[in-house]
Amino acid sequence: MIFDSLAYYNMIREHNINIIYSGPIWADAIEGIAGTIKKRLEFDELPLNAAQSVYSVFIEQMNNILMYSEEKEKYSMNDGKMMEVSKGIFVLGANEKSYFIQSGNVIKNDRVEFIKEQIDYLNTLDKPELRQYYKARMKSENTNPESKGAGIGLIEIARRATSKVEYSFAPYDEGLTFFSLFVIVEQGGK
Amino acid sequence: MGLVIEKQRTGSTPYVYVDEEKGYIKMEGESFHENVIAFFADVNDWLDSFLETDFTELTFDCAMEYFNSSTAKLLLNMILSMDSCASEEKKVTVNWITTEDNDIIIECGEDFQEEVENLKFNMVIS
Repeated sequence: MIFDSLAYYNMIREHNINIIYSGPIWADAIEGIAGTIKKRLEFDELPLNAAQSVYSVFIEQMNNILMYSEEKEKYSMNDGKMMEVSKGIFVLGANEKSYFIQSGNVIKNDRVEFIKEQIDYLNTLDKPELRQYYKARMKSENTNPESKGAGIGLIEIARRATSKVEYSFAPYDEGLTFFSLFVIVEQGGK
Repeated sequence: MGLVIEKQRTGSTPYVYVDEEKGYIKMEGESFHENVIAFFADVNDWLDSFLETDFTELTFDCAMEYFNSSTAKLLLNMILSMDSCASEEKKVTVNWITTEDNDIIIECGEDFQEEVENLKFNMVIS
């Protein structure tokens, strides 16, 4: 069956999506998309704080996919070693007044409750509280790398979002769940 | 001549310059490489051994435009190590260099500034 590029193209257009990437999250891929996003934000003439927020949410989402995606592509390197690269999807779009930054990746079912709790908790905090929490987490992770609690990447995302961080979990293959993260950054910044 | 580490800037790693003789570190650019710990490993190792010596002065010019949360953690760690060694005899200065519209970097600098006791932490905002 031939993939319907036009249907896909139209869907992207209808949803006001500027950039979409689905596949292995190589370091090169992150740099490439980062460069594209920068260009985009420059053209949109955003205040730097809003542009930085969008950029930062993107970077942390990519890092999250890298660390937690259960779906990997395997490559054999020249030296015979196998290398695994995390897979996921990233979407950046813009409505009239705000950007939406979405990411999705596959996780193990047993992580669902943990992630839910973390995001729900972050959503109860205001900006100064998030800033304090970020600092506290940064210090405790430095002294105890195994410490539990929200990864600081997720706290950074909540700090830059201009509304509550939304999420969804959908059944995927056996034992797996597809986790989507949905973040909004207003064009005027915070 | 003292050891010099110099790394050119890439899309996801900053320009890094270390001059042991002058007791000087400079970082400039962006940092969000997936393996930030490996990237900074040699600088970290150098810093650890330098702080053990009888140095009299150490200056860290941090002129980053953007860094991710993993880098923030690492930078805080470096600055806290410097702080724990800083004294009247061992002068340590961190210059946190940024622009007035870079809220993320300014906030982070303010947060780091609150954490240090012995070193001199200057916010240099233009």
